[in-house]
Amino acid sequence: MARWGMVIDVHRCVGCYTCTITCRQEHFLPRNIYFNRVLITEEGKFPAVRKIILPVQCNHCQEAACVKVCPTGATSQREDGIVLVDSNKCVGCRYCAVACPYQQRTLYKDPKTEYFPKQGFTPYEVLGRKLYPYQPGTILKCTFCVEKIDAGIKKGLKPGIDREATPACVITCPARARYFGDLDDPESEVSRMIIEKKAAPLHPEFDTEPSVYYIKS
Amino acid sequence: MMLQTRPYEFMVKYTQQKEWIDGRGNFIAFAFFLGGISGGLYLAAVYFNNLLGMFIAWLLSLLMGISYMIHLSKPFRFWRMFMKPGTSWIARGFIFIMLFIGCTFIQLILSYWFPGSAAEVVFKILAGIFAFAQSIYTGFAVSYVNAIKLWNSAILPILFVICGFSGGLAILMGISLGGSEAQIMAIENVIRVILVAFAVILVVYLWNTTYSSAAAREAVASLMGGNIAAIFWVGVVLLGVIIPIAVSVTTYFATEASDALLVMAVITEILGSLALRYVILKAGMYSPLTTTE
Repeated sequence: MARWGMVIDVHRCVGCYTCTITCRQEHFLPRNIYFNRVLITEEGKFPAVRKIILPVQCNHCQEAACVKVCPTGATSQREDGIVLVDSNKCVGCRYCAVACPYQQRTLYKDPKTEYFPKQGFTPYEVLGRKLYPYQPGTILKCTFCVEKIDAGIKKGLKPGIDREATPACVITCPARARYFGDLDDPESEVSRMIIEKKAAPLHPEFDTEPSVYYIKS
Repeated sequence: MMLQTRPYEFMVKYTQQKEWIDGRGNFIAFAFFLGGISGGLYLAAVYFNNLLGMFIAWLLSLLMGISYMIHLSKPFRFWRMFMKPGTSWIARGFIFIMLFIGCTFIQLILSYWFPGSAAEVVFKILAGIFAFAQSIYTGFAVSYVNAIKLWNSAILPILFVICGFSGGLAILMGISLGGSEAQIMAIENVIRVILVAFAVILVVYLWNTTYSSAAAREAVASLMGGNIAAIFWVGVVLLGVIIPIAVSVTTYFATEASDALLVMAVITEILGSLALRYVILKAGMYSPLTTTE
């Protein structure tokens, strides 16, 4: 069974936010909900200052804290490592949102929030509510575009190699900073990149074993 | 002074947790507080054989359940919270609360209609066990969160239980006023020990937490000198520790304890107990993602 993971090359990322916007478009995300974020900050003291650009999203951790703390089983992990939320089971206790060390889970609060306040929903938003009927009061998060992966695999496509079966943020990145593939396949591009370029997850001390690795060195 | 996190500072600076303290999240802090004092009051009431205290503890536990329901975004799905007691402290706590409410209800009926019966004793023991479980599980639920170093401490469940006993004993003393002087003195003797233990454990918890990580140090700094320092120093320290200890010392040396002083101590202890849960949840902070701390 494959274990899906991602490698992000921080040196290639230009902070264009294309992944953030494409993800929002792909999933018709409501206003103020983000599955992908790009964190930008500076570190160091003048004159030795450098800018840090860090794309972040759900890490689909192998020992996910959110899966353990969920009292209803709404948050669960598939065999291929993808962590998903079943909105029909979520009670909105937010224990998972509190427990996530990466803060990549958001409570969807208000379904009436329009992209353009007081102007009604756009046709895009209306279509989005039909295709992705997110339930208010439940937790939303990155799904590694699971619907694309599953549909692609059914057609015999390979996630990470065939665009149709690969997460939207990976295929849209203009700097080619993102890579997707099977972490359990030592010959996959992501596995080779982790070894050759010494990629590491964020904050491994939290012991969640993230499936998203970063090339920083 | 700690400033509120601006949107562009999200997870690039220390970021306060919000889901369990802002808006509807306040109700989980209130539920944790009620769980602590309900458990503490029940155990104290059993020890001092006070049926009214046991009944009030049962009511407080019902109120805790209501507070939890208000916290949930989908409260009518609450029955699903039984599903994962294997790994989830919220699921375990939900079971403890239900069992405490059920066992206490039966015990109260037996204590009223069949006092001294074997069944009454059995249900008192069961209710006592679940009262303790209800009181301590809130500490475990919070300390299980590895992501927030201020919370991730083995001392936190003990702090919450001691605080719960303190509040519960205060309520018991309140309802005992006007009754037997001997019982009031006996309750006061226990409160003195609990208050000192609470103060010591609080200091040890805050001090020890600063050793765990920079995020924990930042959180303790915000508690003691940041935007929630006022609630900490006035609510937890002054109302929850100093005034009750001062009253306790005064009544120790006085021939007769003034009811007004005791009522003041009761109120301040309860407020201090609530303030403790609030500030601990409010001060919870996540480490920035952009550092390697």
